Amino acid sequence: MKILSKKLLVATVAVSLVLPASFSFSQVASAATPVKGGNLTILRGDLESSLTPSIPPDNAGIWVVEEIFDTLLLPARDAKSLKPSLATSWSASKDGLTWTFKLRSGVKFSDGTPMTSKDVKFSLEENSDPAGNWGFINSSISKIGTPDPLTVTVTTKTPYSPLPAVMAIFANSIVPFNYGGKTKEAFGDNPIGTGPFKLATWTKGQLIKIVRNPYYWEAGKPYLDSVTFKLVPDANTRANQVQGGQAQVNEFPSYSSVKTLKSVKGVKVTAFDSSAVHYLIFNNTKAPLSDVHVRKALAYLVDKKAIIAAVTFGIGTAAGAYMSPTSWAHNVSIKGLPYNVAKAKAELALSTQPKGFTATINVTSGSADDNSKAQILQSEAAKIGITLKINQLDPSAWTEARNNKSYDIMFGYCTTDIIDPDEIIRFAGIIDGGGSSLWSYYDNKTSAKLANDAVLVDNQAKRKVIYDKIQLAFDADQPMVPLFYAPNLYSYSTKVQDFQPFVTGNYNLRNVWLTK
Amino acid sequence: MIRFLVKRIVLLVPVVFGIITATFLLMHATPGDPALTYLGNHPTPEAVASLHHQWGLDKPVTNQYFDFIGGLFTGDLGSSLFYNETILKLIALKLPPTLMLMVMGSLFGIIFALPLAIWTAVRKDKFIDHLISLMNAVILGMPIFFIGAMGILFFALKIPIFPVGGYGESNLQHLWSLVLPSITIGLGLVPLLVRSLRTSVIESLDSEYVAFARSKGLKNRAVWLKYALRNGSISGISILGIQVGYLAGGSLVIENVFAIPGMGSFLMSGILNRDFPVVQGATLTFAMLVVLVYLFTDVAYALLDPRARFK
Repeated sequence: MKILSKKLLVATVAVSLVLPASFSFSQVASAATPVKGGNLTILRGDLESSLTPSIPPDNAGIWVVEEIFDTLLLPARDAKSLKPSLATSWSASKDGLTWTFKLRSGVKFSDGTPMTSKDVKFSLEENSDPAGNWGFINSSISKIGTPDPLTVTVTTKTPYSPLPAVMAIFANSIVPFNYGGKTKEAFGDNPIGTGPFKLATWTKGQLIKIVRNPYYWEAGKPYLDSVTFKLVPDANTRANQVQGGQAQVNEFPSYSSVKTLKSVKGVKVTAFDSSAVHYLIFNNTKAPLSDVHVRKALAYLVDKKAIIAAVTFGIGTAAGAYMSPTSWAHNVSIKGLPYNVAKAKAELALSTQPKGFTATINVTSGSADDNSKAQILQSEAAKIGITLKINQLDPSAWTEARNNKSYDIMFGYCTTDIIDPDEIIRFAGIIDGGGSSLWSYYDNKTSAKLANDAVLVDNQAKRKVIYDKIQLAFDADQPMVPLFYAPNLYSYSTKVQDFQPFVTGNYNLRNVWLTK
Repeated sequence: MIRFLVKRIVLLVPVVFGIITATFLLMHATPGDPALTYLGNHPTPEAVASLHHQWGLDKPVTNQYFDFIGGLFTGDLGSSLFYNETILKLIALKLPPTLMLMVMGSLFGIIFALPLAIWTAVRKDKFIDHLISLMNAVILGMPIFFIGAMGILFFALKIPIFPVGGYGESNLQHLWSLVLPSITIGLGLVPLLVRSLRTSVIESLDSEYVAFARSKGLKNRAVWLKYALRNGSISGISILGIQVGYLAGGSLVIENVFAIPGMGSFLMSGILNRDFPVVQGATLTFAMLVVLVYLFTDVAYALLDPRARFK
């Protein structure tokens, strides 16, 4: 599910996920004094594509990029605010059009060359190419200026309040001017950054090893000598290797293994806050799903509690609004449609297909989660005369059907890359927000205008009012059914200290250390 | 013998050619676009078109096919769309673990099967014969990944003799990491090997030439080595050859369970990402591998049984 595993939205209101009491929660900072040394081995199920910051569409690549490079600003762990990183301060002009960033002095790339505003300008421009993977995130920028080596100005086409949050996305990481003379692709194989680690070896499709960057600007950090990211596609094998002590961290253990893993000595399972929202997605352009009554009928048939029990083994909470509760823009008043077969029947009676119809649910083959969800929905739909056929597709064919609008119903999820709600409000809810409303092709012109208006406003409370309206319109139209808000699960050795992935996904391994 | 070899090798060419053509057509006929997989969540039409052009996917399929075949003759298998690396370099990296796994697996299979086969042949229809054939049936019914998982549980987690998986970093570690998966593969080979060896050893022991050898006063050891085992092993070798052929394809499962970065997982990631050059390169390698194993089997067979050379 690499296709939808991209991190997308964030937020600022802390989420209180209802989890079994025995779960350790995200506040796991250790009180002991960190010690230097050691290699941390992280096991993952996905391949890294490129280490040029503006390229990787996959989490596997993104999470390594974040260790090799720095951004101007950094999100706080809970995604409530921004912190200085390569920029020590930032401010907006009175007209809200120009942002000035003061750069940290004395910062060097891992090859020893100093970092200046020239590098920053080049990096931001590289990521602003509209044809690039992440160019959309910089679409508000019109000009980048470098008044002196330690000052950068960013001018936007219209006032754009999410700009500081955009400066904290990995894709806007700072690379050396002109990639130090390399091509963009060649640089991706041999990256140079200012981050806590630098690339040591990369055996494609097997492992990436990063080692301490001797020029790193934050005194005393990182604690680890090196980090090895290893590809282990099988979830059981990953769990076994952590248990056997060959590796220390397992990215995303399977939900079904959590109970067993918690009983293993020396292994810890933690559910960290995440911006992930899982949806049941309808193709809003295809009859009869283009009919709001049909979508609502299906939404009434979704038993979210049953899905959470069967799919995530009780981990996660039933969703209401389409924005994650980790965002300050989350509309807490929206509860979604309750599970109610009688109401579903009544909605269907109002639709163009009062007697029912036949439709297809596309699931990715091999995804046990998708298959369980589809089967639950299938048996519920049969109660009111809707026949749902489950269509197994491999991930590539599934993506193609999604992008060609040639599907009826599917499942998907999204997460945020920035702490500002703008990304997800638009990506999942607005047709031209970069993801065709998460490929539901839902097109609400009023919401689109509201989303454009929201970024012109600099006041968070005023923006919240606008985002609340967009979420209410979404709830009334049910273009997708928000199913549940899921945490980020990790299992790791009890030797690993201060491992606290951010809501935006960043590992921030500069703070992590190992007990002997 | 040389004529026999040449004839066999010439026959292999259309087989390999057929396999790579079928793979090419199947990959292009299956829905799925590598550019969409590569671009993830933000595939603009311009970016998709630019990648198609860069990868030559905007050319007609027939042109792509002839480009690929043309490349084969110059030893150019192209570059991976995702790894940004030539296929030859990637295969050089991924093939050794798989080859070692197959060789070590076969060796363990023979080491386990040979004594058992002899034992059951000598003790034909006795208790031990029945017990071993029952065990064979049980192993035959067990999926190979289950045997692997049990191996990990007992010999890596409970009693940590072997690593849980992975491939290690030094040559010695590579070898040590492959012991448990190879034993797993070897065990999977045992049932069929024992059965075929046992039957043919019994047949040779009952044959007139063995009776004649014994009547000449040859020692038991010589009878076994020169007659019973040599003739008995002919069927074992062809069974082993066929099984190793299957192993090449089935290595995916064992590589997955033990996290070995070999050809199996390489092929699988290629298929999932629609990385056409990877799939074509990996299939070609597997095809060559299987075909070579069959060739060796035929040669070994011919060496042991001169009649085969004239068939």
